Amino acid sequence: MKYDVIVVGGRIGGSVSSLFASKNDLDVLMIEKQPEIGVPLQCAEATSEETFQTIGIKPSNRYICSEIHGAELHSPDGNHFRMYPHNDEIGYILDRKVFDKSIAIQSAKAGTDIMVKTTVKDLIIREGKVKGVIAKHLGRTMEIEADLVIAADGVGSNVARMAGIDTLFGTKDIGSCVQYKMVGMDVDPNLMQIYFGNEIAPGGYVWIFPNEDGVTNVGVGIRNHKKTAYHYLNKFLSNFEATPVEMNIGGVPLSGTVDKTYTDGLLVVGDAAGHVDPLTGGGIHLTVICAKIAGEVAAEAIKGEDISAEFLKRYEERWNDKVGNVIKKSLKYRKVLDKLNDKELNALAKFMKGRDLDSITSASLLGLVKESPSLVRHLKDII
Amino acid sequence: MVCIMKFDNEKCGYCGACTSVCPNSSLELTENKLIIETDKCDDCKRCSIVCPLGAFLEVEGN
Ligand SMILES: Cc1cc2nc3c(=O)[nH]c(=O)nc-3n(C[C@H](O)[C@H](O)[C@H](O)COP(=O)(O)OP(=O)(O)OC[C@H]3O[C@@H](n4cnc5c(N)ncnc54)[C@H](O)[C@@H]3O)c2cc1C
Ligand code: SF4
Ligand code: SF4
Repeated sequence: MKYDVIVVGGRIGGSVSSLFASKNDLDVLMIEKQPEIGVPLQCAEATSEETFQTIGIKPSNRYICSEIHGAELHSPDGNHFRMYPHNDEIGYILDRKVFDKSIAIQSAKAGTDIMVKTTVKDLIIREGKVKGVIAKHLGRTMEIEADLVIAADGVGSNVARMAGIDTLFGTKDIGSCVQYKMVGMDVDPNLMQIYFGNEIAPGGYVWIFPNEDGVTNVGVGIRNHKKTAYHYLNKFLSNFEATPVEMNIGGVPLSGTVDKTYTDGLLVVGDAAGHVDPLTGGGIHLTVICAKIAGEVAAEAIKGEDISAEFLKRYEERWNDKVGNVIKKSLKYRKVLDKLNDKELNALAKFMKGRDLDSITSASLLGLVKESPSLVRHLKDII
Repeated sequence: MVCIMKFDNEKCGYCGACTSVCPNSSLELTENKLIIETDKCDDCKRCSIVCPLGAFLEVEGN
């Protein structure tokens, strides 16, 4: 068995990479260890229009659960303010189990072969170049050769590590998350609710995202804390009369991207590469952008018969051009937020009413000096 | 190396957060099982810090 490209992981990073590789006439195999693509869910399912624009599809009612027009942010003292996107961009809450699978189906229609319930256990490496994978399906081990492997195997990526790429994250860099899909939370169907506070979600936040038909995604992400995300979610929910119908668990990389996302015969995409916004934890739109580039660069490499790291470097250059600055800026914001105590968060919420992050200027900060000089010192770092 | 981390499989949600921080690649997540290679583990406890469900328990003493 020999392919041009093997993609490891069948969710959004893998499905979009394989879709664009197949659209460019490559022989592509995508391997997913779960029996069903998109399952289990490990996501709060919020994304923006950009995701669909990048893939080149129209959002479909089959996987759009709700439209989001803005977010309500809550400070520890119970104050809240609303934020709306600049250009009236609409956000969506997806049904990711359906969405990810629908992209995999498109990829299959474009020619991708897919193996499910198959785990990549190792890489075939010859003369320092990745040359395929060793995979296991129902107890049977097989060697499958390819000129290029795309690792889209998520945050715990072992595949990139097998090729010598350092994808190890620090404990401070991983958002430790638990979410329930709940019935009985009474929220505005078009607004996301976000709660901050060191007693509510140390190093992260609680989210309530309106899903469809009275169901909400309620979850928490925390960082580097002795108590668990599960503890914080249940503590938060003790104030509500609502009941779960599903529980989702996951880790999300919030450190910015890994140092290198390519090597001879291999590209790394999505959570495995740290293609996630470090402030919000949103990775769908960024993964889609980088995965599309990976599929396109794979096609150029195979057609030009050059899968060397030197050639594949253009993958990193291109995704960096598109999303590198966004990720770096968000990391800067997140590091400032990390330093704030609850008092400063309260002052920030009051100050932010009617503003957005980009409109904070030195002059506007003067109004805050009296109330919270320490907050002004922290905010100066992001101006 | 001695591994004193104790892992409670019944508390595991198979999410992979722990494998992302293990410096010794001692953890492998299959479709529905977390496999720990205890001889590779140096007991750094990083896995237990990121586990959303608290599936790693610290055992007293060596
Ligand atoms: C709780 C939580 C909430 C989130 N909420 C949001 C949100 O609201 N909006 C947003 O934009 N982002 C969100 N994210 C981030 C988002 O889910 C990820 O950025 C996105 O799913 C990354 O996609 P991916 O394809 O790179 O990786 P994944 O979605 O992790 O997919 C990796 C796939 O690879 C498979 N795999 C792994 N190893 C192997 C192997 N060895 N062999 C074969 N297959 C393998 C896995 O089974 C999995 O299907 C959230 C993350 C978490 C944890
Ligand atoms: S204690 Fe450290 S080395 Fe051992 S499994 Fe956990 S993270 Fe890996
Ligand atoms: S982080 Fe916890 S829940 Fe997730 S796979 Fe590891 S032990 Fe299981």
